[in-house]
Amino acid sequence: MTDAVFRETAAEPRTQSVPLAHVSLELGHLYMEDFEAGAGRLREHFALVRPWVDAVRASAAGNGKRPRISTCFLIDDYFTRFSSPAELVPLLLAEADRCGLTVDYLARESGCAVADGVQIAAAVEARLVELPPPGSDGSRPPVSETGWLANGERTPGSAGAEAMAGLTTWSPPNETAARRHSVFADVELWDDRDGRRTWSCPFLAAVWQLARLGLLRYRGEPVLRPRPWPDGGFPHDWDALPPLIQLSPSAAPFAAYRTCSVLPSRFLPVEHAVRVVLSQIQTDPDALRQVAERSAREGVPVPDAIADRASYVFYAGP
Amino acid sequence: MTATGDTGTAEPVCGEVRTCLLQTSLSLTASAAEELLRLREDERVRLSERPNLHAVSPDVLTGVDCRLPTGSGARVRAIGTVAARAVLTEGRVLQATAYFRAAGAGPEQRQPWGHYLVRPGVLEPFGGLPVRAVADGILAGTRQAGELDLGAVSERLLTAVLRHQLLDQRPPFKSRRTRLRWVALRTRDGQAPSIRRFTLAADGLRTVELRVPEEIAPAAVAGLCEDLALHDWLLTTLVRMVERSRPGSADGYAVVTALRPAVDHLLHLWMPRARVAGALSPLWEVLEREPGFTRQWQTLVQRIRDQLALQAIPLPREALTAR
Amino acid sequence: MLVFAASDKGGTGRSVTSANLAYRRALAGDDVCYLDFDFGSPTAAAVFDVPGALRGIEAGGLHTYLQGKVSEPERIDVWAETEHEVLRHRPTGSGNLVLLPGDRSGGEFAVGRDALRRCVDLLLRLNAEFDLVVVDLSAGRSYAVDMALEATSRPAMRGVEARWLVYHRWTRQHVIAAAGLVFGDRGIVAGGVDRGHDAERLRGAIRFVRAAVPDPESPLWSQVPPPQSAWMRKCDQDLDELAADLEAGFSMVLGSVPLEPVLQWREQLITDEDVLASKVANMETRQALEELAAKLTDHESWGAT
Repeated sequence: MTDAVFRETAAEPRTQSVPLAHVSLELGHLYMEDFEAGAGRLREHFALVRPWVDAVRASAAGNGKRPRISTCFLIDDYFTRFSSPAELVPLLLAEADRCGLTVDYLARESGCAVADGVQIAAAVEARLVELPPPGSDGSRPPVSETGWLANGERTPGSAGAEAMAGLTTWSPPNETAARRHSVFADVELWDDRDGRRTWSCPFLAAVWQLARLGLLRYRGEPVLRPRPWPDGGFPHDWDALPPLIQLSPSAAPFAAYRTCSVLPSRFLPVEHAVRVVLSQIQTDPDALRQVAERSAREGVPVPDAIADRASYVFYAGP
Repeated sequence: MTATGDTGTAEPVCGEVRTCLLQTSLSLTASAAEELLRLREDERVRLSERPNLHAVSPDVLTGVDCRLPTGSGARVRAIGTVAARAVLTEGRVLQATAYFRAAGAGPEQRQPWGHYLVRPGVLEPFGGLPVRAVADGILAGTRQAGELDLGAVSERLLTAVLRHQLLDQRPPFKSRRTRLRWVALRTRDGQAPSIRRFTLAADGLRTVELRVPEEIAPAAVAGLCEDLALHDWLLTTLVRMVERSRPGSADGYAVVTALRPAVDHLLHLWMPRARVAGALSPLWEVLEREPGFTRQWQTLVQRIRDQLALQAIPLPREALTAR
Repeated sequence: MLVFAASDKGGTGRSVTSANLAYRRALAGDDVCYLDFDFGSPTAAAVFDVPGALRGIEAGGLHTYLQGKVSEPERIDVWAETEHEVLRHRPTGSGNLVLLPGDRSGGEFAVGRDALRRCVDLLLRLNAEFDLVVVDLSAGRSYAVDMALEATSRPAMRGVEARWLVYHRWTRQHVIAAAGLVFGDRGIVAGGVDRGHDAERLRGAIRFVRAAVPDPESPLWSQVPPPQSAWMRKCDQDLDELAADLEAGFSMVLGSVPLEPVLQWREQLITDEDVLASKVANMETRQALEELAAKLTDHESWGAT
């Protein structure tokens, strides 16, 4: 089987690896209304972010070697559309530059739903393995509410299709493996309206994290790969902009062993939801192994759990 | 990270495979097989066309947190994921295997779920694992409520695949499913693999106990057991088909109609060891000696060919009536 | 092939007749499975004389399965577990005869999405294994009938041949009620069309079975005075006309089962021993059952379905 003369490639598929930095540092994640508020808001944002970026760089340099850090910025073009790349992107880059920050990679949020003709969000959803509450013996599939994902057991009765027994008393929801008291979270993954599926912000943000952690694959091929964009001209239509572009040619790789996102504290609930999602996704085992082996070789082993590879700085701000 | 790390203690691999005829009038082609087994859009189906058409789905995981069955009555709680995969041979015989590797020891407290998800197909016990007791429990065939239900996991996958739109639900003949439950204990220091037990129980249940070197991957052990289950199913099905054709009965036409599906759909499927990892293939030889799987198969095949040959000879009426 | 047995009202002998059909087919060499979907009162085990499951089984039957509490419903091998004197000796050449009983405490229940999926999976699985799957449905326009219509309308089931037998007694009320069950506003055909069945195909897969039919020509009635005999013939004729008007006429009838004390009172399988040796059952009844059993799969009886 292993040292065979005869081989069939379709029988032994390979998973491609991606280049990896140490840290993928997110300089912000703004909604269209933030852009609408004008250049002043952007300047304010970057000025608040700057000290934390320095702190992250300093902390990554802790082990002596010069760390590979790439920066990225995500623009929401999925839920609302505003202006055009030609107007907004140069403004954004200029304001970042004014605060001494460089945006290495720029992504569009809709690229986390569909990129390069691949339904990424749908594929990631199919990889959810819901956490089993104690007593799950495999005989029944998890009690899922379609389009929702929880970190424990819901209040009974809400999901039951079998209306057999009439009498049900209320019992509380329950976070699985809680530390004594529950912090139960139930995350909406998508909604379907007018025949169109809209992925939720936390779910797309979870896909974004997976991309930054180098763990997204589609039939073995990396997806949401950065496209070089050295010349600086930007199109007048968001759809004409590739989902992920590399602005600085000499930047460290987009994907990294760990991620850090510097965000205003209003993003806290969203990022908690991202953790709920990330902790229940079974990522491509080959991709996982590639990252684990390489980080271990470099002496910076990654934590087992995917969710623990993401870190945050929440600053008080708009 | 220690996703592939062993704790060094004996870590048995256990599973259950269910085997059935694919419910479709014609065998599936390679591309249809690929479509059928694409359980997840973003993962490839492993497809091999030599020496026969064989397609393997990606593994899907089911999270569990429950007691493991034990022969001694000891209570062992385990947490993790059971892996399941579907396999289609020659576009005709469908199998679903649920399997896991039991870690020799685990933390005394449940870890965050992400810890288990990076160890697909591994169950970690609370504390140490009483290996022998768990092996006996899995093989015993009686399951107490609340204990791990491997059969349900493989059954769920099998029925999900059988519901696929590609299938016309018009199989060429009626047949039963079989279940094969297996446990592979680990050997060390270059000891050769061996089969300790192969038991045919009632209700289509078979149990197999193996000894397999530590370095052999759980998926390879599952592959061996799928091969055993496939051939056991073929034998079981062919025996039943010959029985039902009532050879020797007056109605020659009925005999031909009953046996013809065997020729069309089954006889070419016999190919022991086609998909078995090299290190495990000697295990087949044991079964070839005793009870002699291939010997029984060849006898049945010969019997079918003889019956069909007899029916093909137009005997003069006198020859029959003169007796 | 799936055969759903429905009836307009209770007391038509639906369960016992269907069980007899299952038995006849198994004797002829088919592998047969009988499902007790009579959720209100699971009694099939009594017909097959399986004592452990007389009023349904304690747990693990079809109710428990459909509610998702077990992954497979209990199966009873009738040849092996019956206490019936004659059935215990399985004839050579006979096929398997398996009963899937209901639960003792199970009642009618609303059918949710999950129960429906389980029902489809079960029917697919049994259809893969058995030549004939007889599903005995609760009387009237029941949840069981809904579930059967819904399950057979699923895309996964489109390749599975399904037929419907609608049992009714040979009386004015019963003929009207049975026709209503099939063709009425909330009937099987309308309900099926609502769920995506093709009306013509579904109609083509339904046949009536007349139960407990007194035959005016039978020797049983040969002694009655001529006026009574004439009256009986007239009634019979009127019923025929009524049935024809209600589209339950001759072309829609698969067969009739004579009025038979053994079916009415003992509610058991009619064995050849009952007919030939102890002679408690009539030869005509046995013949009628055998013909019905043969017609279940006979092309001519089902036209172009």
